[in-house]
Amino acid sequence: MAKNLGVFLEQLRSTETIVEVEQEVNPADFEVTAILRKLEERALFPAVIYNHCRNIKGEASALRVISNVFGTRERCAVALDLPADETGFPLSSRYAERTKHLIEPTVVVKQQAPVKEVIKKGANLDLSDYPLVRHHEMDPAPYIDMVICLKGRNQNFYNTSFQRNMYKGPRKLGLFMAARHNWEICRTYEEHGEAAPVIIILGHHPAFYLGALNIQPYGVDDYKVIGGIMNEPLNVVESETWGKNFMVPAEAEIIIEGEVLPGVKETEAPFGEWPGYYGPQRLSHVIDVKAITYRKNALWQDVFVSHRENWILGGIPKEGEIYEAIRAYVPTVKSVHFPFSGNCRLICYVSLDKQEDGDARQAALIALAICDFIKYVVVVDGDVDPFNEGEVLWAVSTRCQPQEDTDIIKCVKSSPLDPSIPGQSEGSKMIIDATVPKRKAFAQRTKVPQQVLDRIRLEHYIDEDIILSLPKYTDSLRSC
Amino acid sequence: MADIVWVTCPKCEGQFYCKPGDFEDSHYPLLCPYCSKEFLFKESPRIQR
Repeated sequence: MAKNLGVFLEQLRSTETIVEVEQEVNPADFEVTAILRKLEERALFPAVIYNHCRNIKGEASALRVISNVFGTRERCAVALDLPADETGFPLSSRYAERTKHLIEPTVVVKQQAPVKEVIKKGANLDLSDYPLVRHHEMDPAPYIDMVICLKGRNQNFYNTSFQRNMYKGPRKLGLFMAARHNWEICRTYEEHGEAAPVIIILGHHPAFYLGALNIQPYGVDDYKVIGGIMNEPLNVVESETWGKNFMVPAEAEIIIEGEVLPGVKETEAPFGEWPGYYGPQRLSHVIDVKAITYRKNALWQDVFVSHRENWILGGIPKEGEIYEAIRAYVPTVKSVHFPFSGNCRLICYVSLDKQEDGDARQAALIALAICDFIKYVVVVDGDVDPFNEGEVLWAVSTRCQPQEDTDIIKCVKSSPLDPSIPGQSEGSKMIIDATVPKRKAFAQRTKVPQQVLDRIRLEHYIDEDIILSLPKYTDSLRSC
Repeated sequence: MADIVWVTCPKCEGQFYCKPGDFEDSHYPLLCPYCSKEFLFKESPRIQR
Protein backbone atom coordinates (compact mmCIF):
# COMPACT_ATOMS: atom_id res chain seq x y z
CA MET A 1 0.00 0.00 0.00
CA ALA A 2 1.29 3.48 -0.88
CA LYS A 3 2.55 5.62 1.99
CA ASN A 4 0.06 8.11 3.33
CA LEU A 5 -0.97 9.63 6.65
CA GLY A 6 -3.39 6.82 7.52
CA VAL A 7 -0.75 4.14 6.93
CA PHE A 8 1.67 6.04 9.17
CA LEU A 9 -0.86 6.49 11.98
CA GLU A 10 -1.65 2.76 11.92
CA GLN A 11 2.06 2.01 12.20
CA LEU A 12 2.43 4.54 15.02
CA ARG A 13 -0.46 3.09 17.04
CA SER A 14 1.57 -0.08 17.59
CA THR A 15 4.32 1.84 19.40
CA GLU A 16 2.75 4.91 21.02
CA THR A 17 -0.50 6.58 21.99
CA ILE A 18 -2.13 8.93 19.54
CA VAL A 19 -4.31 11.21 21.63
CA GLU A 20 -7.89 11.46 20.34
CA VAL A 21 -9.91 14.39 21.66
CA GLU A 22 -13.64 13.57 21.61
CA GLN A 23 -14.93 16.84 23.06
CA GLU A 24 -15.83 19.44 20.46
CA VAL A 25 -13.19 22.10 19.83
CA ASN A 26 -13.23 25.34 17.89
CA PRO A 27 -9.90 25.53 15.99
CA ALA A 28 -10.60 29.10 14.84
CA ASP A 29 -10.87 30.15 18.50
CA PHE A 30 -7.39 28.90 19.51
CA GLU A 31 -8.73 25.72 21.17
CA VAL A 32 -6.55 23.32 19.15
CA THR A 33 -3.35 25.19 19.99
CA ALA A 34 -4.41 25.81 23.61
CA ILE A 35 -4.64 22.03 24.15
CA LEU A 36 -1.24 21.52 22.52
CA ARG A 37 0.22 24.29 24.70
CA LYS A 38 -1.19 22.68 27.86
CA LEU A 39 0.44 19.39 26.85
CA GLU A 40 3.68 21.22 26.08
CA GLU A 41 3.69 22.75 29.57
CA ARG A 42 3.82 19.17 30.86
CA ALA A 43 6.60 18.27 28.39
CA LEU A 44 4.16 16.06 26.45
CA PHE A 45 4.26 16.04 22.64
CA PRO A 46 1.84 13.39 21.33
CA ALA A 47 0.21 13.51 17.93
CA VAL A 48 -3.33 14.72 18.61
CA ILE A 49 -6.48 14.08 16.58
CA TYR A 50 -9.46 16.33 17.27
CA ASN A 51 -12.46 14.22 16.28
CA HIS A 52 -15.13 16.89 16.63
CA CYS A 53 -14.25 20.32 15.29
CA ARG A 54 -16.19 23.39 14.36
CA ASN A 55 -15.57 25.07 11.04
CA ILE A 56 -14.92 28.79 10.57
CA LYS A 57 -18.67 29.45 10.58
CA GLY A 58 -18.92 27.82 14.01
CA GLU A 59 -20.81 24.80 12.66
CA ALA A 60 -19.84 21.15 13.10
CA SER A 61 -17.14 20.33 10.57
CA ALA A 62 -17.22 17.15 8.53
CA LEU A 63 -13.44 16.95 8.81
CA ARG A 64 -11.21 16.22 11.78
CA VAL A 65 -7.97 18.02 12.66
CA ILE A 66 -4.60 16.40 13.36
CA SER A 67 -1.59 18.25 14.76
CA ASN A 68 1.78 17.67 16.42
CA VAL A 69 2.64 14.74 14.13
CA PHE A 70 6.25 16.01 14.09
CA GLY A 71 6.39 16.70 17.84
CA THR A 72 9.16 14.17 18.47
CA ARG A 73 12.24 13.05 16.58
CA GLU A 74 11.16 9.50 17.44
CA ARG A 75 8.14 9.82 15.16
CA CYS A 76 10.31 11.30 12.41
CA ALA A 77 12.65 8.31 12.75
CA VAL A 78 9.72 5.94 12.28
CA ALA A 79 8.60 7.99 9.29
CA LEU A 80 11.97 7.33 7.65
CA ASP A 81 11.77 3.59 8.42
CA LEU A 82 14.22 3.70 11.33
CA PRO A 83 13.73 2.35 14.86
CA ALA A 84 12.07 4.99 17.06
CA ASP A 85 15.20 5.38 19.20
CA GLU A 86 17.40 6.42 16.24
CA THR A 87 16.74 10.08 16.97
CA GLY A 88 20.23 11.52 16.76
CA PHE A 89 22.47 11.90 13.78
CA PRO A 90 21.53 8.51 12.21
CA LEU A 91 18.12 10.07 11.53
CA SER A 92 19.65 13.09 9.79
CA SER A 93 22.04 10.82 7.96
CA ARG A 94 19.17 8.61 6.74
CA TYR A 95 17.56 11.75 5.34
CA ALA A 96 20.77 12.74 3.56
CA GLU A 97 21.23 9.26 2.05
CA ARG A 98 17.72 9.32 0.66
CA THR A 99 18.12 12.74 -0.98
CA LYS A 100 20.73 11.16 -3.26
CA HIS A 101 18.19 8.81 -4.79
CA LEU A 102 15.57 10.68 -6.76
CA ILE A 103 12.52 8.57 -7.58
CA GLU A 104 10.18 9.42 -10.46
CA PRO A 105 6.56 9.86 -9.40
CA THR A 106 3.96 7.33 -10.49
CA VAL A 107 0.90 8.65 -12.30
CA VAL A 108 -2.39 7.13 -11.18
CA VAL A 109 -5.89 7.62 -12.58
CA LYS A 110 -8.53 9.52 -10.61
CA GLN A 111 -10.30 6.31 -9.59
CA GLN A 112 -7.13 5.22 -7.80
CA ALA A 113 -6.59 8.57 -6.09
CA PRO A 114 -8.13 8.72 -2.58
CA VAL A 115 -7.75 12.51 -2.58
CA LYS A 116 -10.45 12.66 -5.29
CA GLU A 117 -13.16 11.02 -3.18
CA VAL A 118 -14.77 14.41 -2.58
CA ILE A 119 -14.42 17.25 -5.11
CA LYS A 120 -15.69 20.78 -4.59
CA LYS A 121 -15.30 23.68 -6.97
CA GLY A 122 -17.08 26.85 -8.03
CA ALA A 123 -20.12 27.76 -5.95
CA ASN A 124 -19.81 24.50 -3.96
CA LEU A 125 -16.46 25.57 -2.60
CA ASP A 126 -16.34 27.54 0.63
CA LEU A 127 -13.21 27.42 2.80
CA SER A 128 -15.24 28.50 5.83
CA ASP A 129 -16.78 25.00 5.76
CA TYR A 130 -13.47 23.65 7.08
CA PRO A 131 -11.70 23.60 10.47
CA LEU A 132 -8.88 26.08 9.84
CA VAL A 133 -6.73 26.72 12.91
CA ARG A 134 -6.02 30.06 14.54
CA HIS A 135 -2.77 29.56 16.41
CA HIS A 136 -1.66 32.58 18.45
CA GLU A 137 -3.24 35.64 20.02
CA MET A 138 -2.04 38.21 17.48
CA ASP A 139 -2.89 36.11 14.38
CA PRO A 140 -5.71 38.03 12.66
CA ALA A 141 -7.40 34.95 11.22
CA PRO A 142 -7.18 31.16 10.97
CA TYR A 143 -4.31 29.92 8.84
CA ILE A 144 -3.36 26.90 6.78
CA ASP A 145 0.31 26.26 7.52
CA MET A 146 1.19 23.17 5.51
CA VAL A 147 3.09 22.57 2.25
CA ILE A 148 2.40 24.48 -0.92
CA CYS A 149 3.64 23.37 -4.34
CA LEU A 150 4.27 25.37 -7.48
CA LYS A 151 5.58 24.28 -10.87
CA GLY A 152 8.28 26.10 -12.79
CA ARG A 153 6.79 28.21 -15.59
CA ASN A 154 7.20 26.22 -18.82
CA GLN A 155 9.51 23.90 -16.90
CA ASN A 156 8.88 20.41 -15.65
CA PHE A 157 9.80 20.66 -12.00
CA TYR A 158 7.67 21.01 -8.91
CA ASN A 159 8.81 22.96 -5.86
CA THR A 160 7.43 22.39 -2.38
CA SER A 161 7.79 24.35 0.84
CA PHE A 162 5.91 25.06 4.04
CA GLN A 163 4.17 28.44 3.75
CA ARG A 164 1.48 30.18 5.73
CA ASN A 165 -1.90 30.90 4.14
CA MET A 166 -4.28 33.32 5.85
CA TYR A 167 -8.03 32.76 5.52
CA LYS A 168 -9.37 35.84 3.74
CA GLY A 169 -12.69 34.61 2.36
CA PRO A 170 -14.59 31.58 1.02
CA ARG A 171 -12.25 31.30 -1.97
CA LYS A 172 -9.37 33.59 -1.03
CA LEU A 173 -6.14 33.06 0.90
CA GLY A 174 -3.23 35.38 1.69
CA LEU A 175 0.12 33.69 0.97
CA PHE A 176 3.43 34.76 2.49
CA MET A 177 6.65 33.55 0.91
CA ALA A 178 10.23 34.48 1.76
CA ALA A 179 12.40 35.14 -1.29
CA ARG A 180 13.32 31.55 -1.99
CA HIS A 181 12.36 29.04 -4.71
CA ASN A 182 8.55 29.29 -4.69
CA TRP A 183 8.78 33.05 -4.53
CA GLU A 184 11.06 32.94 -7.57
CA ILE A 185 8.58 30.77 -9.49
CA CYS A 186 5.81 33.25 -8.69
CA ARG A 187 8.02 36.08 -9.83
CA THR A 188 8.56 34.47 -13.25
CA TYR A 189 4.79 34.08 -13.76
CA GLU A 190 4.21 37.62 -12.56
CA GLU A 191 6.80 38.92 -15.02
CA HIS A 192 4.56 37.59 -17.81
CA GLY A 193 1.38 38.89 -16.19
CA GLU A 194 0.21 35.34 -15.50
CA ALA A 195 -1.33 33.71 -12.45
CA ALA A 196 0.82 30.96 -10.94
CA PRO A 197 -0.91 27.62 -10.34
CA VAL A 198 -0.44 26.52 -6.73
CA ILE A 199 -1.66 23.67 -4.57
CA ILE A 200 -1.71 23.24 -0.81
CA ILE A 201 -1.23 19.71 0.50
CA LEU A 202 -2.86 19.04 3.87
CA GLY A 203 -2.21 15.63 5.34
CA HIS A 204 0.25 13.10 3.98
CA HIS A 205 2.82 10.65 5.29
CA PRO A 206 5.36 12.57 7.42
CA ALA A 207 8.16 11.46 5.09
CA PHE A 208 6.36 13.46 2.40
CA TYR A 209 6.63 16.63 4.50
CA LEU A 210 10.23 15.98 5.54
CA GLY A 211 11.01 15.53 1.84
CA ALA A 212 9.18 18.76 1.01
CA LEU A 213 11.67 20.60 3.23
CA ASN A 214 14.75 19.58 1.25
CA ILE A 215 17.26 22.30 0.47
CA GLN A 216 18.17 21.10 -3.03
CA PRO A 217 19.10 23.73 -5.65
CA TYR A 218 16.44 25.63 -7.59
CA GLY A 219 15.04 23.56 -10.43
CA VAL A 220 15.37 20.14 -8.82
CA ASP A 221 11.99 18.38 -8.99
CA ASP A 222 10.77 18.08 -5.42
CA TYR A 223 8.28 15.33 -6.33
CA LYS A 224 11.33 13.19 -7.17
CA VAL A 225 13.17 14.22 -4.00
CA ILE A 226 10.08 13.44 -1.92
CA GLY A 227 9.91 10.02 -3.60
CA GLY A 228 13.50 9.47 -2.53
CA ILE A 229 12.79 10.46 1.07
CA MET A 230 9.64 8.29 1.14
CA ASN A 231 11.67 5.50 -0.45
CA GLU A 232 8.89 4.87 -2.94
CA PRO A 233 7.42 6.78 -5.91
CA LEU A 234 5.06 9.59 -5.01
CA ASN A 235 1.66 8.77 -6.52
CA VAL A 236 0.35 11.75 -8.45
CA VAL A 237 -2.90 12.42 -10.27
CA GLU A 238 -4.23 15.13 -12.58
CA SER A 239 -5.40 18.28 -10.87
CA GLU A 240 -9.01 19.42 -11.22
CA THR A 241 -8.00 22.86 -12.44
CA TRP A 242 -5.11 22.30 -14.84
CA GLY A 243 -5.40 18.59 -15.68
CA LYS A 244 -2.14 16.95 -16.76
CA ASN A 245 -0.33 20.28 -16.69
CA PHE A 246 -0.21 20.15 -12.89
CA MET A 247 -0.13 16.83 -11.10
CA VAL A 248 -1.05 16.60 -7.42
CA PRO A 249 -0.22 14.01 -4.72
CA ALA A 250 -2.89 11.31 -5.00
CA GLU A 251 -2.48 9.93 -1.46
CA ALA A 252 -2.91 13.27 0.30
CA GLU A 253 -5.77 13.79 2.72
CA ILE A 254 -6.73 17.15 1.20
CA ILE A 255 -5.56 19.23 -1.78
CA ILE A 256 -6.49 22.88 -2.28
CA GLU A 257 -5.96 24.15 -5.83
CA GLY A 258 -5.65 27.84 -6.63
CA GLU A 259 -3.80 30.54 -8.49
CA VAL A 260 -1.44 33.17 -7.12
CA LEU A 261 -2.75 36.35 -8.72
CA PRO A 262 -0.15 38.46 -10.55
CA GLY A 263 0.39 41.98 -9.29
CA VAL A 264 -2.03 41.56 -6.39
CA LYS A 265 -0.96 42.07 -2.80
CA GLU A 266 -3.16 42.34 0.28
CA THR A 267 -2.80 42.81 4.02
CA GLU A 268 -1.65 39.65 5.79
CA ALA A 269 -0.37 38.69 9.28
CA PRO A 270 0.87 39.28 12.03
CA PHE A 271 1.52 35.57 12.30
CA GLY A 272 3.30 33.64 15.07
CA GLU A 273 6.29 32.13 13.28
CA TRP A 274 9.04 29.61 13.98
CA PRO A 275 11.38 32.06 15.79
CA GLY A 276 8.79 32.33 18.57
CA TYR A 277 7.74 35.86 17.56
CA TYR A 278 5.04 37.25 15.34
CA GLY A 279 6.10 38.22 11.86
CA PRO A 280 4.80 41.76 11.16
CA GLN A 281 1.66 42.61 9.23
CA ARG A 282 2.67 43.06 5.60
CA LEU A 283 1.43 42.96 2.03
CA SER A 284 1.49 39.40 0.72
CA HIS A 285 0.43 37.44 -2.34
CA VAL A 286 -3.20 36.40 -2.79
CA ILE A 287 -4.45 32.95 -3.83
CA ASP A 288 -7.71 32.65 -5.75
CA VAL A 289 -8.89 29.20 -4.66
CA LYS A 290 -10.30 27.09 -7.50
CA ALA A 291 -10.98 23.66 -6.02
CA ILE A 292 -10.66 21.49 -2.94
CA THR A 293 -10.51 17.71 -3.12
CA TYR A 294 -10.22 15.27 -0.24
CA ARG A 295 -10.72 11.81 1.17
CA LYS A 296 -14.00 10.96 2.81
CA ASN A 297 -13.36 11.47 6.53
CA ALA A 298 -10.12 13.30 5.76
CA LEU A 299 -7.78 14.62 8.44
CA TRP A 300 -7.07 18.36 8.20
CA GLN A 301 -3.40 18.48 9.16
CA ASP A 302 -1.89 21.48 10.89
CA VAL A 303 1.56 22.21 12.31
CA PHE A 304 1.84 23.85 15.73
CA VAL A 305 3.95 26.60 14.26
CA SER A 306 6.38 28.40 16.61
CA HIS A 307 6.59 25.27 18.75
CA ARG A 308 8.53 22.05 18.95
CA GLU A 309 7.08 20.19 15.95
CA ASN A 310 7.71 23.21 13.76
CA TRP A 311 11.36 23.22 14.89
CA ILE A 312 12.01 19.49 14.54
CA LEU A 313 10.51 19.47 11.07
CA GLY A 314 12.84 22.26 9.99
CA GLY A 315 15.97 20.81 11.54
CA ILE A 316 16.23 17.22 10.32
CA PRO A 317 16.40 17.92 6.55
CA LYS A 318 18.99 20.65 7.08
CA GLU A 319 21.17 18.48 9.30
CA GLY A 320 21.37 15.72 6.71
CA GLU A 321 21.87 17.89 3.66
CA ILE A 322 24.44 20.20 5.25
CA TYR A 323 26.37 17.19 6.47
CA GLU A 324 26.54 15.83 2.91
CA ALA A 325 27.56 19.21 1.50
CA ILE A 326 30.37 19.61 4.04
CA ARG A 327 31.50 16.00 3.58
CA ALA A 328 32.17 16.68 -0.10
CA TYR A 329 34.99 19.07 0.90
CA VAL A 330 35.77 18.18 4.52
CA PRO A 331 35.46 14.40 4.55
CA THR A 332 36.20 14.12 8.26
CA VAL A 333 32.94 15.85 9.27
CA LYS A 334 31.18 13.66 11.82
CA SER A 335 27.83 15.20 12.60
CA VAL A 336 25.60 18.26 12.19
CA HIS A 337 22.86 19.36 14.54
CA PHE A 338 20.36 22.22 14.70
CA PRO A 339 19.49 22.58 18.43
CA PHE A 340 16.15 23.66 19.88
CA SER A 341 17.87 26.76 21.32
CA GLY A 342 18.10 28.13 17.77
CA ASN A 343 14.62 26.87 16.89
CA CYS A 344 16.41 24.26 14.74
CA ARG A 345 17.24 26.94 12.18
CA LEU A 346 19.40 29.79 13.49
CA ILE A 347 22.19 27.84 15.20
CA CYS A 348 24.12 25.00 13.58
CA TYR A 349 26.59 22.76 15.41
CA VAL A 350 29.13 20.88 13.29
CA SER A 351 31.58 18.30 14.63
CA LEU A 352 34.58 17.07 12.71
CA ASP A 353 37.91 15.32 13.15
CA LYS A 354 40.02 18.24 12.11
CA GLN A 355 43.05 17.47 9.94
CA GLU A 356 44.07 21.07 9.35
CA ASP A 357 43.12 24.29 11.11
CA GLY A 358 41.30 25.57 8.02
CA ASP A 359 38.85 22.64 8.09
CA ALA A 360 36.65 24.24 10.74
CA ARG A 361 36.07 27.49 8.90
CA GLN A 362 35.63 25.76 5.57
CA ALA A 363 32.92 23.57 7.07
CA ALA A 364 31.24 26.61 8.59
CA LEU A 365 31.29 28.53 5.33
CA ILE A 366 29.73 25.63 3.44
CA ALA A 367 26.91 25.43 5.99
CA LEU A 368 26.29 29.16 5.70
CA ALA A 369 26.44 29.06 1.90
CA ILE A 370 23.72 26.49 1.43
CA CYS A 371 21.30 27.48 4.20
CA ASP A 372 20.40 31.14 4.67
CA PHE A 373 18.50 30.41 7.89
CA ILE A 374 21.75 29.85 9.82
CA LYS A 375 23.04 32.78 11.86
CA TYR A 376 25.63 31.05 14.07
CA VAL A 377 27.80 28.10 13.12
CA VAL A 378 29.74 26.49 15.94
CA VAL A 379 32.37 23.97 14.87
CA VAL A 380 33.59 21.49 17.46
CA ASP A 381 36.00 18.56 17.48
CA GLY A 382 34.88 14.99 16.99
CA ASP A 383 35.07 14.26 20.74
CA VAL A 384 32.20 16.70 21.32
CA ASP A 385 28.64 15.57 20.65
CA PRO A 386 26.71 18.30 18.78
CA PHE A 387 23.47 16.78 20.08
CA ASN A 388 24.65 17.62 23.65
CA GLU A 389 24.44 21.41 23.89
CA GLY A 390 26.24 21.43 27.25
CA GLU A 391 29.26 19.81 25.60
CA VAL A 392 29.18 22.25 22.70
CA LEU A 393 29.13 25.27 25.01
CA TRP A 394 31.92 23.70 27.09
CA ALA A 395 34.01 23.52 23.91
CA VAL A 396 33.14 27.14 23.12
CA SER A 397 34.14 28.10 26.67
CA THR A 398 37.43 26.28 26.71
CA ARG A 399 38.70 25.88 23.12
CA CYS A 400 37.78 29.24 21.66
CA GLN A 401 39.39 32.67 22.03
CA PRO A 402 36.86 35.14 20.61
CA GLN A 403 39.53 37.39 19.14
CA GLU A 404 41.12 34.62 17.11
CA ASP A 405 38.43 32.04 16.69
CA THR A 406 35.32 33.95 15.68
CA ASP A 407 34.42 35.68 12.45
CA ILE A 408 31.49 37.92 11.60
CA ILE A 409 30.26 38.15 8.02
CA LYS A 410 28.07 41.17 7.36
CA CYS A 411 25.19 41.82 4.97
CA VAL A 412 24.29 38.23 4.11
CA LYS A 413 20.87 36.97 3.04
CA SER A 414 19.01 35.87 6.17
CA SER A 415 15.55 34.79 7.17
CA PRO A 416 13.12 37.73 7.11
CA LEU A 417 11.42 36.11 10.10
CA ASP A 418 14.44 36.61 12.39
CA PRO A 419 13.28 39.59 14.47
CA SER A 420 16.85 40.75 15.08
CA ILE A 421 17.83 41.45 11.47
CA PRO A 422 18.30 45.15 10.75
CA GLY A 423 16.50 45.22 7.38
CA GLN A 424 14.09 42.93 5.57
CA SER A 425 16.33 40.02 4.63
CA GLU A 426 19.95 40.93 5.30
CA GLY A 427 21.79 40.09 8.46
CA SER A 428 25.15 39.09 9.80
CA LYS A 429 26.53 35.63 10.43
CA MET A 430 28.97 34.40 13.04
CA ILE A 431 31.41 31.51 12.86
CA ILE A 432 32.70 30.16 16.15
CA ASP A 433 35.63 27.80 15.80
CA ALA A 434 35.60 25.84 19.06
CA THR A 435 38.06 23.22 17.90
CA VAL A 436 41.46 22.57 19.45
CA PRO A 437 44.09 24.38 17.35
CA LYS A 438 46.46 22.19 15.36
CA ARG A 439 49.08 24.93 15.04
CA LYS A 440 50.12 24.93 18.71
CA ALA A 441 50.22 22.74 21.81
CA PHE A 442 46.91 22.59 23.66
CA ALA A 443 45.73 21.18 26.97
CA GLN A 444 44.30 17.68 27.16
CA ARG A 445 40.79 16.88 28.27
CA THR A 446 40.54 15.08 31.63
CA LYS A 447 39.55 11.45 31.83
CA VAL A 448 39.50 8.62 34.32
CA PRO A 449 41.52 5.74 32.84
CA GLN A 450 39.32 3.64 30.56
CA GLN A 451 40.77 0.31 31.75
CA VAL A 452 39.70 1.15 35.29
CA LEU A 453 36.25 2.23 34.17
CA ASP A 454 35.92 -1.09 32.34
CA ARG A 455 36.92 -2.97 35.49
CA ILE A 456 34.71 -1.14 37.99
CA ARG A 457 31.10 -2.28 38.45
CA LEU A 458 29.32 0.42 40.45
CA GLU A 459 26.92 -2.09 42.00
CA HIS A 460 29.85 -3.87 43.65
CA TYR A 461 30.66 -0.74 45.64
CA ILE A 462 27.28 0.90 46.20
CA ASP A 463 24.02 -0.92 46.79
CA GLU A 464 21.82 -0.74 43.67
CA ASP A 465 18.79 0.42 45.71
CA ILE A 466 20.83 3.35 46.96
CA ILE A 467 21.96 4.18 43.42
CA LEU A 468 18.38 4.15 42.22
CA SER A 469 17.26 6.31 45.17
CA LEU A 470 19.75 9.08 44.43
CA PRO A 471 18.42 12.19 42.68
CA LYS A 472 19.69 12.59 39.12
CA TYR A 473 21.36 15.74 37.87
CA THR A 474 21.83 15.76 34.13
CA ASP A 475 22.78 19.41 33.76
CA SER A 476 26.52 18.81 33.64
CA LEU A 477 26.66 15.47 31.85
CA ARG A 478 29.45 15.31 29.34
CA SER A 479 31.12 12.37 27.74
CA CYS A 480 34.37 12.84 29.70
CA MET B 1 15.73 45.42 15.22
CA ALA B 2 13.88 44.33 12.12
CA ASP B 3 12.00 47.03 10.28
CA ILE B 4 8.71 47.10 12.20
CA VAL B 5 6.43 49.74 13.65
CA TRP B 6 3.87 49.25 16.43
CA VAL B 7 0.43 50.66 15.60
CA THR B 8 -2.79 50.95 17.60
CA CYS B 9 -6.30 50.11 16.43
CA PRO B 10 -8.52 53.23 16.55
CA LYS B 11 -11.54 51.07 17.45
CA CYS B 12 -10.39 48.60 20.14
CA GLU B 13 -6.97 50.12 20.99
CA GLY B 14 -5.32 46.75 20.38
CA GLN B 15 -1.64 47.04 19.55
CA PHE B 16 0.20 45.12 16.86
CA TYR B 17 3.04 45.74 14.47
CA CYS B 18 3.51 46.01 10.74
CA LYS B 19 6.17 46.43 8.07
CA PRO B 20 6.04 50.21 7.68
CA GLY B 21 7.19 50.27 4.07
CA ASP B 22 4.03 48.41 3.06
CA PHE B 23 1.52 50.70 4.79
CA GLU B 24 2.97 54.13 5.48
CA ASP B 25 1.95 56.53 2.67
CA SER B 26 -0.07 53.74 1.04
CA HIS B 27 -3.75 53.10 0.37
CA TYR B 28 -3.53 49.57 1.74
CA PRO B 29 -5.38 49.29 5.05
CA LEU B 30 -4.04 47.74 8.22
CA LEU B 31 -6.21 44.99 9.70
CA CYS B 32 -6.63 44.86 13.47
CA PRO B 33 -5.99 41.25 14.51
CA TYR B 34 -8.21 41.64 17.57
CA CYS B 35 -11.41 43.29 16.22
CA SER B 36 -10.92 43.05 12.41
CA LYS B 37 -11.24 46.84 11.98
CA GLU B 38 -9.53 48.07 8.80
CA PHE B 39 -7.78 51.44 9.04
CA LEU B 40 -5.06 53.42 7.36
CA PHE B 41 -1.61 53.75 8.90
CA LYS B 42 -2.13 57.48 9.47
CA GLU B 43 -5.33 56.70 11.45
CA SER B 44 -3.40 54.85 14.12
CA PRO B 45 -3.68 56.95 17.32
CA ARG B 46 -0.21 55.83 18.40
CA ILE B 47 2.81 54.91 16.31
CA GLN B 48 5.89 53.52 18.02
CA ARG B 49 9.03 53.12 15.93
